[in-house]
Amino acid sequence: MSANHDVLIIGSGASGGMVAHTLTRKGIKCLMLDAGPPVDYTRDRALKHVYELPYRGFGRPGRFPHVTQANEFNANLWADERQNPYTFDAADPYYWVRVRLIGGKTLVWGRASWRLSDFEFACKDHDGFGDNWPIRYKDLAPFYDSVEPLFRVAGRKEGLAQIPDGIFIPDDSSDTESVKRFIAAAKAKSIPTTKSRHATGQLASSANLLLPDALETGNLTIVPNAVVREITTDRNTGLANGVNFLDRRTGRELHATARVLVVGASTLESTRLLLNSKIANSSGVLGHYLFDQIYVKDVVQAVVPEARGGKGSRKLMGGGGYIPRFRNLQTREKRFLRGYAYDFGSGGTPHPRYFPLYGEALQKELASATNTSFSMTTMGEVLPRFENHVRIDPEVRDAWGIPALHIRHRYTDNEHEMAKDSMNVAEELCHDAGFELLEKHARMVPPGESIHELGTCRMGVDKKTSVLNQWNQSHDVKNLFVVDGSSFVTGGSQNPTLTILALSMRSAEYMAEQMRLSAI
Amino acid sequence: MRRRTALQTLAAFPVLALGQEPVVPPRPVARAVEETPKIESTVADSVTAPVARFFSAHQYTALQRLCDVILPAIGETPGALAAHAPEFLDFLLSRSTAERQKLYRDGLDRFAAQADTAAALAPLRLPWTYDDPPGPYDRFLRAAKDDILTATVNSREWIEVVSRRNRGAGGTGMYWFPVDQQ
Repeated sequence: MSANHDVLIIGSGASGGMVAHTLTRKGIKCLMLDAGPPVDYTRDRALKHVYELPYRGFGRPGRFPHVTQANEFNANLWADERQNPYTFDAADPYYWVRVRLIGGKTLVWGRASWRLSDFEFACKDHDGFGDNWPIRYKDLAPFYDSVEPLFRVAGRKEGLAQIPDGIFIPDDSSDTESVKRFIAAAKAKSIPTTKSRHATGQLASSANLLLPDALETGNLTIVPNAVVREITTDRNTGLANGVNFLDRRTGRELHATARVLVVGASTLESTRLLLNSKIANSSGVLGHYLFDQIYVKDVVQAVVPEARGGKGSRKLMGGGGYIPRFRNLQTREKRFLRGYAYDFGSGGTPHPRYFPLYGEALQKELASATNTSFSMTTMGEVLPRFENHVRIDPEVRDAWGIPALHIRHRYTDNEHEMAKDSMNVAEELCHDAGFELLEKHARMVPPGESIHELGTCRMGVDKKTSVLNQWNQSHDVKNLFVVDGSSFVTGGSQNPTLTILALSMRSAEYMAEQMRLSAI
Repeated sequence: MRRRTALQTLAAFPVLALGQEPVVPPRPVARAVEETPKIESTVADSVTAPVARFFSAHQYTALQRLCDVILPAIGETPGALAAHAPEFLDFLLSRSTAERQKLYRDGLDRFAAQADTAAALAPLRLPWTYDDPPGPYDRFLRAAKDDILTATVNSREWIEVVSRRNRGAGGTGMYWFPVDQQ
């Protein structure tokens, strides 16, 4: 028997959770489908010794060739690659990382929470490349103001235009000596630094911050293990009227209906669903303008020499921070467009691979290097390009018979030049701070690995060059909204989740008003 | 404690003389019996011997020699051999990709052919870079160094010694199993 719901939401992560949270408070009845099961924090996890695991912490070889984040402890949190295949050309490997659980990737995210600015929203006005967003910072600022307290974001206000300040739990913590030295070295080069901004709490997920409140209203129904195959439309009106989905465990087919359809299945899953449903693509750009962020992990690995030999005290070592974008803020200063940010961290012991030693000599060196590490990671903007895209691969289907994606994402000279620049600056900063460099490099992780995939269903003013309007509403199908990272026009170098939360809240407010006016 | 409680319960029954009709008053079942038991168990590696079956005898001997050089026992801290790293890696490689298996087999053959261990390990004394090592033997040595260290520091033998010295030294984590079929 099918119940009537006002809104059908596909996906329970940041965007789907936020839409449910916003709509159910207004009395709107929501049905939420997610491809995975809920996580029971009492029953579904246990503290174990690494030697109790069957592969001694290595994990089953070949289980996750494209999920470098997977380890043997957390392996069951990631979507299985054999059940969920996708393809790419051998020359352009893509690492697509997925979570199919209630709460989605907010169960495992890094929690970094930075606002975008008009350097992103009005990027074309600034440097002439690509397209502006259909909104400006002032349009989204009130929603950031609501999201930050909900996710208990801690941070420090700095007055920097490229990372606008927000409503933070103030971070007044002091810095260790090594971090102070690094900050002074950056300041001497007019490079800004700040404390990390991140959601706090034991868990900072849709599963504890959004869904419980929505359920509390009595207006949310969640169906887990629902793998959506296609969106169905009314032949007469062209409007979306429901979805066909399969039970994850049995493959049993079911149908759900609603007045408004919200897709928040994650950037590439949402676009895959639209492509498989053959809707919302009169522009021909659905699937195009895929981008993410470049990551150069441990772009420099250094040691703080004074900490050697067990002298890495709490006063000297520990802590860290963030360097926001500082390139190309004024004019075209460099050989590349846009810019990059860094995370930097003090403390811990460098990985044994950095020491060209073995045997007792290696163990002695590691003991001496305990708590001496200083490392930095680059996170840089990737230019959205039409040619970076996803399409349906007609040859490959997933475990439920649903056609899989073919992904084509290639970095260009702009990203390579940016990575090199970030390596050189990082080396200079460590040198000026008096740190010893163990290794530097400019090797970006493969596209996708940052788990910051964005675009492919972008918003815009012109319905010929975009899929969604400024409210995340399909230009073609008025009662269809796509609320996740696929709607991004550009991504900057900031972690995208905070913006996904703000955009989906803004979209839901608009949706509720349109429903009240009977416009959808 | 539970066993003792059970024995005391049994002892409370009167001893019967032969031929006497047993008259056993109904008693509540001992609580220990009603509780769902939690059976304590151990990991196989610590009490049993794994059977090495992937590498040839020649290669396995070379792997043992390599393990002992990469991470020997130091003081009371067990080395790779005491941590059963060779036995574990023999198993791990049996489940690895064909490419990885070839890297190890060829690498061990070449290592075994060199009597001078220091010369055989010269590539490990070159500064580490992110670039891929020049040839398969250098790649093998780099992979083996990482694997031997990980297999050792993740072993029960290593963790028990190190965590005695330094409480909270690690080796534990939260294992997740929300998905009911794999």
